[in-house]
Amino acid sequence: MIKKIKASSSEKFIFVFLIILSVATFSTYFVVKNKCLFIKNFNPKDITFREPNNIAILNAPCGNVIIELYPNVSPNAVQRFVTLIRSNAYENIAFHRVIENKLIQAGDLEFGKKGKLDYGKIGTGKSGLGTIKSEIDSSFNYTKGSVGLARTFKNDTEDSQFFIILQDEPLFEGEYTPVGKVLYGIEVLKKIKYQRNSEYILRPDFINSFKMLN
Amino acid sequence: MNIIRAILLLFFFITPLKANTIYNLIKIPNLEIYEINTENKLKYLYAVRPFRLGTQKNIVCSNANKKDLKEKYKIIYKNLNRYSYDYLKKINLKYIVLCENLSISELYTAGIPDNIMKTLILDIQFNEDYFERVIHHEVFHIIYLQYKEIFNDEEWIKFNNPKFKYAKCSTCTKNIGLEKYKETKGFFTEYSKSTASEDMAEVYSHMIFLKKEEINQIRKSDPILNNKILYIENKIKQIDNTFTF
Repeated sequence: MIKKIKASSSEKFIFVFLIILSVATFSTYFVVKNKCLFIKNFNPKDITFREPNNIAILNAPCGNVIIELYPNVSPNAVQRFVTLIRSNAYENIAFHRVIENKLIQAGDLEFGKKGKLDYGKIGTGKSGLGTIKSEIDSSFNYTKGSVGLARTFKNDTEDSQFFIILQDEPLFEGEYTPVGKVLYGIEVLKKIKYQRNSEYILRPDFINSFKMLN
Repeated sequence: MNIIRAILLLFFFITPLKANTIYNLIKIPNLEIYEINTENKLKYLYAVRPFRLGTQKNIVCSNANKKDLKEKYKIIYKNLNRYSYDYLKKINLKYIVLCENLSISELYTAGIPDNIMKTLILDIQFNEDYFERVIHHEVFHIIYLQYKEIFNDEEWIKFNNPKFKYAKCSTCTKNIGLEKYKETKGFFTEYSKSTASEDMAEVYSHMIFLKKEEINQIRKSDPILNNKILYIENKIKQIDNTFTF
C-alpha cells in the first residue's frame, strides 16, 4: 500500500517559485530577443506632412525612420540622395558605422551590400556616380536626428554615404553637408546594432528599404 | 595574405572606441568647446587635460586655467574677429585650440598651425608683450601653408641685401627677439632674420597690428621693407581681394 505523502508548505512554496521562475525566464527570453518590442513603428500614411515631396522613409530592422529632406539648404546633395533612393540603391546596404547613442552611418554601395560585405574596405566604397561638392556654407543646426552626407578627410568628396546623428553635434555645422532631419523614428535608429569596442560593426544591420513618399 | 587580413580585422575590431567628435574632426585629444557661436564661425576649443601630438608625440601642451582662458580668450577673439568668414574659409582656418606651455620637441612656441586640419593651436601664456601681434603671425603661417604656390621664398630673399643670409631654420638661431627695431633696415624684428617664412609672418603681423600711418612711415624710410610689405599686400589680394590691412 502506497502511503500518500503530503507536501510541506515550504515544498509548496519552492514548487510555486520554480514555476514562476521558469515562466519569467521563458517570457524574458522572448522579450530580450526581440529588441524592437517597445519601439513604435510609424506609418507614413497616417501622418500629414507639410512637404510630402521631400519625405523619405528608411525602413530599418525595428521599423520606419521618416526623414524630411532639405533641398533648399543643400540642393545638389539632396538631389544625389534622392537619385539613389529612387533607384533603390540603398536597399540591403549595411549600417556599417554605428556609435551608441551618437551616430549611425550607412550607404557604402560598393562594399556594404548584404551578401557582398567587405569588412576590409567597408566605408570606402563609391556609388559610381562620382563625388559632389560640399554644401556647407548655409547655417544648419546639427541637432539630434540631423542627416548629413559623409565624406573623406577632404571637402567635395561626398558621394552616397550618409549619417544620422543621435545627439546634438554643433561642431558638424560647416563641416558636413546636411540633407535633412528625422521627423519620426529616432528610437528605431537607436536599436541598430552597435559594438561597444568598435565603430565598425561585425555582422551589421541592414537597410530593408529606402523610398520617397511620393 | 589571409593571415594579414585576419590580423588587420582583429585589430580593427578590438580598437577601443573613441567617440569624441572634436578628436574625430581635428585629431587632438582632451579638448572641449570654449565658444563656437562666433560671427566669423571660428570655433574656440580648449585643453581640459594636457595633450601630446605628432607621430613622435613631440608636440605637447597643457590645460589652461579658467581665469587665464577667460582673459586671453577676449584678446584672441578681438584679434581674430577682424577676419571674415570668407577670408578664414579661403585660408582654411576654423578651429582655434587654446592651451598653455605649448612646445614642439621641447622648444616653446607661440602657436602651431595646421591648415590641413584647419586648426591653429595657440599658447595663451606666450610672451605677454607681443601676444596680440603673434596671433596674426601664426595666422600668416596658416596662409603660407595653404598657399605655398603663391609665396615664393626665393623671390622674397631677393628683397634683402645680397650679403644677408637667413638661418637654416626658425629654431636654428638664438636671435628670436620679437621687439620691433627702432631702425628697421629691412627687418621688423630680430626674429624676422630667422627664415624667409618667419620674416613674411613678421611683416604680415606688423601690417595687421601697426597703424596705417606707422606702416606708411616705414614704407617711406625703408625701401626693403617697402618691397616686402608690397609683396605681402599683393599676395593677400590674390587670395582675397576684399581683405584690407
